[in-house]
Amino acid sequence: MITIGYILIGIGAFFYFLGGLGIFRMPDVYNRLQAGTKATTLGSFSVILGVGLVNLEFLPKALIIIAFIALTNPVGSSVLARAAYLKGIKPTDKTKVDEYKGGGNK
Amino acid sequence: MRRFISIVIVFGLIMFFINTLSLLPKYGSVNISKVSEAYIDKNVNGNGGNVKYNESESLENGAANVVTSIVVDYRSFDTLGEVTVLFTAALGVSLVLNGIRRKKYGRRPNFILRVSVGILLPLIILFGTYIFIHGHLTPGGGFPGGTIIAAGILLLYLSNEEFDLSKTPKFVEGISGSLYIVTGLVGLAIAGVFLINFLPTGIVGDLFSAGIVPIVYILIGFKVGAELSGIVADLHREG
Repeated sequence: MITIGYILIGIGAFFYFLGGLGIFRMPDVYNRLQAGTKATTLGSFSVILGVGLVNLEFLPKALIIIAFIALTNPVGSSVLARAAYLKGIKPTDKTKVDEYKGGGNK
Repeated sequence: MRRFISIVIVFGLIMFFINTLSLLPKYGSVNISKVSEAYIDKNVNGNGGNVKYNESESLENGAANVVTSIVVDYRSFDTLGEVTVLFTAALGVSLVLNGIRRKKYGRRPNFILRVSVGILLPLIILFGTYIFIHGHLTPGGGFPGGTIIAAGILLLYLSNEEFDLSKTPKFVEGISGSLYIVTGLVGLAIAGVFLINFLPTGIVGDLFSAGIVPIVYILIGFKVGAELSGIVADLHREG
């Protein structure tokens, strides 16, 4: 159990690293938001679940924290992306499809 | 050149941390004074009986959270001043932004935001309330709890175009601020010192312990929450 927990913590740290790298390397706001949110959501899930498995007393708390992150993190990033879009920030030139404007090619 | 300088700075920081951390004493081999030993022996589960440190029956008036017993017990008058400072700030904001008509955005707030606020808002309010009710037991207290409640009010403003607090914050703020001073005056009448802890302190770790500390923290929580909600309302009206 403890080994699985440490493996999960390692996976979470790796996803945090990928999130940081994505924020650093991605070309525009939307890609950066996507990289940051996806990576940190998965990273937090595995780190917190790993801590819960290493120390079984924390497991119920860890599951509750995971539920709250699942409720708040995607909503926050979606609202940020929508605000950026409505403010008029253009996506990068490589973007092919704009579904918010009604789908189809750009 | 910049890259070289940054590498040097990072290397220096790493060396600094390694050197400082190796200077720290090992875990368990610190020579602690009597007071900190008494704090380490404190039982937070509530079944250890009264805390005994020399003669005193309840160390620091029974609050498990040391910070709280200092902020709301020893230095309660100072906390009253802090609350007054926050009140003055809220007053300044509402004076500066007075008379500005509320702007309409002309489009409905985000569907995802509206739905999730319906789920999250009760939980956020519950969490803030928990934080300030348990201020004498766990980290937190009146100020963080009130801030969390004000954040919930901000979510409500963002997700609902029609929502308006109107006079409620000012009412709650006035009531709780006066009750704080009334608590101090009752202490003055009973024990002769303004804001003294006159209630029985109970067992460390119980919800009903630490005398007036939880009462004062609940009042501070309501006051801070109402003040910050008022600031949020004023700023949102300004758009």
